[in-house]
Amino acid sequence: MAQIPNLDNAPINLASLREQSQKELLNILRKIRGKKCLVIDPKLGGSLSLLIQTSLLKEYGVELRHLSAEHVQTECSKVLYLVRSQMKLMKFISSHIQHDLSKGVQREYFVYFVPRRTVVCEKIFEEEKVHHMLSIGEYPLYTLPLDEDVISFELDFAYKECYVDGDTSSLWHVAKAIHKLEFSFGLIPNVRAKGKASTKVVDILNSLQVEEPVNTADMGVPEINTLILLDREVDMVTPMCCQLTYEGLLDEILQINNGSVEIDPTIMGGQQEGKKTKVPLNSSDKLYREIRDLNFEVVVQVLRQKATSMQQDYAEVKSTSQSVSGLKDFVKKLNSLPEIARHVNLAQHLQSFTSKPSFHARLDIEQTILELQNYEICFEYIEEMIHKQEPIINMLRLLVLFSITNSGLPKKNFDYLRREILHSYGFEHMSTLYNLEKAGLFRKQETKTNWPTITRALQLIVDDTDTANPNDVSYIFSGYAPLSIRLVQHAIRSGWRSIEEIMKLLPGPHLDLKRGASTSSSSFDIVLGAQSNHDRLMDGRRSLALVVFIGGVTFAEIAALRFLSSQEGMGYDFIVGTTKMVNGNTILETLMSNA
Amino acid sequence: MAAVAVAAEWQLLHDRYYRKLEIYSMQWGRMDLARHRVACAPFGGPIAAIRDDSKIVQLYAESARRKLHIFNSAGVHLASAAWDRPGGRLVGMAWTDDQSLVCVVQDGTVYRYNLRAELSAPQFSMGKECFEQGVVECVFWGNGMICLTEDRQIFCVPDFKNPKPCKLADPGIEEYPLCVTVVEPQYTMSGNVEVLLGVGDYVLAVEEDGVQQLGIGVGPLQKMALSHNGKYLATFTHDGRLLVITTDFSRIILEYNCESALPPEQIAWCGLDSVLLYWDEMLLMVGPRGNPVRYLYDEPIRLIPECDGVRILSNSCMELIQRVPDSTVSIFQIGSTSPAALLYDALDHFDRRSAKADENLRLIRSSLPEAVEACIDAAGHEFDVSRQRILLRAASYGQAFCSHFPQDRDRFQEVCKILRVLNVVRNHEIGIPLSIQQYKVLTAPVLIGRLVNANHHLVALRISEYLNLNPEVVLMHWACSKITASPAIQDAALLEILLDKLKLCKGISYAAIAAHADNTGRRKLAALLVDHEPCSSKQVPLLLSIGEEDTGLLKATESGDTDLVYLVLFHIWQKKPALDFFGTINARPLARDLFIAYARFYKHEFLKDFFLSTGRLQDVAFLLLKESWHLEKNPMASKGGSPLHGPRIRLIEQAQKLFSETKEHTFESKAAEEHAKLLRLQHELEVSTKQAIFVGSSISDTIRTCIVLGNHRAAMRVRAEFKVSEKRWYWLKAFALATVRDWDALEKFSKEKRPPGGYKPFVEACIDADEKAEALKYIPKLAEPRERSEAYARIGMAKEAADAASQAKDGELFGRLKLTLAQNAAASSIFDTLRDRLSFQGVY
Repeated sequence: MAQIPNLDNAPINLASLREQSQKELLNILRKIRGKKCLVIDPKLGGSLSLLIQTSLLKEYGVELRHLSAEHVQTECSKVLYLVRSQMKLMKFISSHIQHDLSKGVQREYFVYFVPRRTVVCEKIFEEEKVHHMLSIGEYPLYTLPLDEDVISFELDFAYKECYVDGDTSSLWHVAKAIHKLEFSFGLIPNVRAKGKASTKVVDILNSLQVEEPVNTADMGVPEINTLILLDREVDMVTPMCCQLTYEGLLDEILQINNGSVEIDPTIMGGQQEGKKTKVPLNSSDKLYREIRDLNFEVVVQVLRQKATSMQQDYAEVKSTSQSVSGLKDFVKKLNSLPEIARHVNLAQHLQSFTSKPSFHARLDIEQTILELQNYEICFEYIEEMIHKQEPIINMLRLLVLFSITNSGLPKKNFDYLRREILHSYGFEHMSTLYNLEKAGLFRKQETKTNWPTITRALQLIVDDTDTANPNDVSYIFSGYAPLSIRLVQHAIRSGWRSIEEIMKLLPGPHLDLKRGASTSSSSFDIVLGAQSNHDRLMDGRRSLALVVFIGGVTFAEIAALRFLSSQEGMGYDFIVGTTKMVNGNTILETLMSNA
Repeated sequence: MAAVAVAAEWQLLHDRYYRKLEIYSMQWGRMDLARHRVACAPFGGPIAAIRDDSKIVQLYAESARRKLHIFNSAGVHLASAAWDRPGGRLVGMAWTDDQSLVCVVQDGTVYRYNLRAELSAPQFSMGKECFEQGVVECVFWGNGMICLTEDRQIFCVPDFKNPKPCKLADPGIEEYPLCVTVVEPQYTMSGNVEVLLGVGDYVLAVEEDGVQQLGIGVGPLQKMALSHNGKYLATFTHDGRLLVITTDFSRIILEYNCESALPPEQIAWCGLDSVLLYWDEMLLMVGPRGNPVRYLYDEPIRLIPECDGVRILSNSCMELIQRVPDSTVSIFQIGSTSPAALLYDALDHFDRRSAKADENLRLIRSSLPEAVEACIDAAGHEFDVSRQRILLRAASYGQAFCSHFPQDRDRFQEVCKILRVLNVVRNHEIGIPLSIQQYKVLTAPVLIGRLVNANHHLVALRISEYLNLNPEVVLMHWACSKITASPAIQDAALLEILLDKLKLCKGISYAAIAAHADNTGRRKLAALLVDHEPCSSKQVPLLLSIGEEDTGLLKATESGDTDLVYLVLFHIWQKKPALDFFGTINARPLARDLFIAYARFYKHEFLKDFFLSTGRLQDVAFLLLKESWHLEKNPMASKGGSPLHGPRIRLIEQAQKLFSETKEHTFESKAAEEHAKLLRLQHELEVSTKQAIFVGSSISDTIRTCIVLGNHRAAMRVRAEFKVSEKRWYWLKAFALATVRDWDALEKFSKEKRPPGGYKPFVEACIDADEKAEALKYIPKLAEPRERSEAYARIGMAKEAADAASQAKDGELFGRLKLTLAQNAAASSIFDTLRDRLSFQGVY
């Protein structure tokens, strides 16, 4: 099965978007004639694996390398660097060239920036005195479809850069990406944004529209009806909770990267250990499509059912009375066997984790923290984790969850835990703590917490959740409905006006905007009233909402949105845009000191 | 009849008609072409004239000073300037494609003028060799030129936009060539210009990297002219023959004896079918067959080749000589009975209310569409407005009887539109006598460009509106010209005038206009203008170039485009002293944070200065800490030397001092102090144990390592030094003892006193080490039944777990235990059997 997802069922034509990107890449390769060494920064290489087959690159006379501090060993006289605009990578390139110079090797160097060249990167080339030797170009890859309803802007560090460093480059990128989408799919008429970063993105989006207007007149009805932008900062609770959907758990335990997991072959029933195998996970796999968003408990049952019915069919076939057509049906079903086998193996592997008492203890404590039931128990649980020196990332997730729901810890506890952390995990984590504090994830309590008010008003805690036949998104976390999803629900149902008070309790401003339609493309009227009726298309077709998470989205949240759109009476389909697929671990890892 | 009158003016050359139309009578008064050097631009372009200094000056008639005059094609005076360029005789003068006048003087200096006779671009020299040898002759094409020196060397400027002279191969000839012409790059194999020299009885083709001898024996050639498609060469031989040869010299297409030993003064292609030769007072048109046509002139003329004919400039008028278009012939040829002619005739009858109109129409019913088309086409080729009108009326009259020809309607509209434009620009005030074919080759945008160049902004604007073209070019040029032309108008007033017009065009680049204002020395106006630029990526660089850094920074920040902020940042950084720079960016959070991001990566020391000068001591401290940690990761950097004296501890201590100087960072200050202390202690431990395993680990790790090594005294010491709480101590020691599987010591430890945090550490340490028996020693001592129950469950003692759970009266826990334990067994066995069943498929 291919890692490149099938996009035929996408609600908008993402396939053409991807083809365009492929073409642009191949054009770059074509422009540089002859054999060349293509050096890609590894993260970007991962993204590109969702775009193009490596074998295709080879056809263009490419020798593929990954960019690192190591010098490039190649016979090619032309070296093409394809890199994201990150300073660190520029340093590598400079040192490669300086190395070649010192060895007297003459080469032609091409640097193509993704998605665009930047002053700061070129500055480093200048400082390193290699700028004049480079031919510089751009590969404007702003958006990458991860699946038929998920697009990623591939900004790994967006969260840290925005909330810790104050570097808002990613916001411009996001706005530009959305603007580019608008060129293909029409100006999005309704925009809602919550959070500092989101409202800034809307600002930039508006000025891009002034600079380079999307022509509203000759595009017809815009394909995307509503844009909802959410800052990750608004809801840091959800990513800290352990995801309990099948896909979510796969990510928590095996780390889904670029739409696939790398696992030991033994997990998949292979005989010997050794090289890890890649298992693609996207909706091209029909069974996966069916079960990815179910609560894991239910997945186990579904798989069991499938296996049992398979077994019955097999028994029937063996009894010789089968007709030919019956046999044919059976053979057809056999085709799904590899899929069933694959997921049974994966599920079994996951279950070896979920059946551990420690896993349940963690879920328990998460629940306790979310419900703000017993401060002492939670505090001691975390303290014990530190004393036991459990993996710091696991401890931090609970600590952050604890700090957010309590809007910080009392100074005494705050200082105590900080000291215990430094003593247990090392003083190097001073900067981790400093980053967490800057991001507001672990801090001193200054005001009374309003988490209970929020939970109550938005019904985040749902007691009787039926995970098998859910009627609410809270099934995703077995009883907790993600805050972010509740905001989306309100945004499309009746706008945020009805929960104005709650919105004010959450960080950052929010806005509600209507754009376009009128001929004067530069004027944006802020519509104060609730959503008007003609937002929904008259012909009864479902509207499409693009929900963008700035700072990352979890698989669980995507599952929740898919669940919402599958509900009866829901007039919306969703496409999720994100700076990156994340979970609690990956977010926190960006904040950890790697001095 | 009118039709007869039209055709009477035509000349027949074998089977083709030619017509000579007078387009303008020249407005330039007493101009004598005979005594002037003249350069005429094709496509009805301007005319430059300068007195020929090889002719005698008639003092009574004009001033002694030479002047460069520029006229439009109708002889309307546009501008003049004194010709006082040094460098010797004027050798060559011609108009380039973008209508600048190139003048080459003897020493190889090249001057360029615009339509207003102002120097429009810096002069340049053709090089030292040209200077020394002297230029004798120049040949121009499109945007390029070659020149020959007295030493018979050829130099070339391929493109005046980027004037880099280069030398072509040495033709190696003894005598100066008889004639020269160029093959434009678009017609050569190499894509570079090729120069043809008539030498002896052959032709030399000279390129940048080689010389080739062609057509030996055809010559000697006295004159040459290349056809418009680059395929044929018209030549005049020394014995008075006109030869038309293919450019590869493989075939002679036409040979005609002109009966004149004297070579013609000028030779030019008229279309692709005939060649014009001009001797004093006589113009001869030679076609492929039949007798040539002769025209007589009693005044000097200049031939101006166009793509569809030749314009003839004389002192008194401008004429166009061209082949009569087929459609026109079919209508106006004497005795023509073509459908088009009958349709034209029908209109005439109709106008005179004669019934013959109907008769005519009936005759041509079946071929009416062609007739209409021919009338439209003929109208397009017509210069005379009233005749255009009649032809168009005939077309529309015929159209009324055509049942369905929508494309005709489009064609009709298109030609009407073009004619309107052509009639406007043909007006002698504008003086661009384009034929419809020339217009199509030139294209409307280029025409508009030429109009604005000639300062006909209003006409250009109207035309672009009429043709639905973006008026940006026009408005932009207008605004720039307006600024140049209005030094006396106040900035504010001028701004208003400009904005009033510029608002006509959405998306026009105010930045470009502002840049022009800045170049003309009106910086304030530039600042005012650039404020209106909506595109920040254009606005910001300009703001920087006019010295408005602060506004630039503001706009860049507002745009949200961090790349622009960096642009401004680096600009200011370069311009200002460090402290000023710090002050500027510290006031702008985005700029400040971006600077920090860059400097954190690339300019550490400078960043420290910044933090110090802005009072962010804690950030300096963190930088120092990072440096220290970095040293630890790369021990090579701090070779030798103990950490005691090495920079690592020193850095941490510096950081500690900085933290302590702030109020808010007492925690960090203490932590740094402990950090330094830990390093010292670890170093001591490494010395005393002779094992390099301590430095870099945490306090807890250090304690565990000590215990694992059996060095309990050291462990106690670390514990005391850092005031490790009893709770933590119990966890650490229990786990450390379990690691070395010293179960006796563990038990002894558990009995030292009642553990302050209970027996949980002991239970967990044993379970982690997979030592059930040991765990069982401590599980009963757990205070909470719930904890006991879970512990039993973990070591798989279901019954005891259930008992404890029931003791705890915790129903939920009980249920879950039952479920997990039961499910585990069941689930795994199900999976196992399933796998067995699947494997027959061989899918793994």
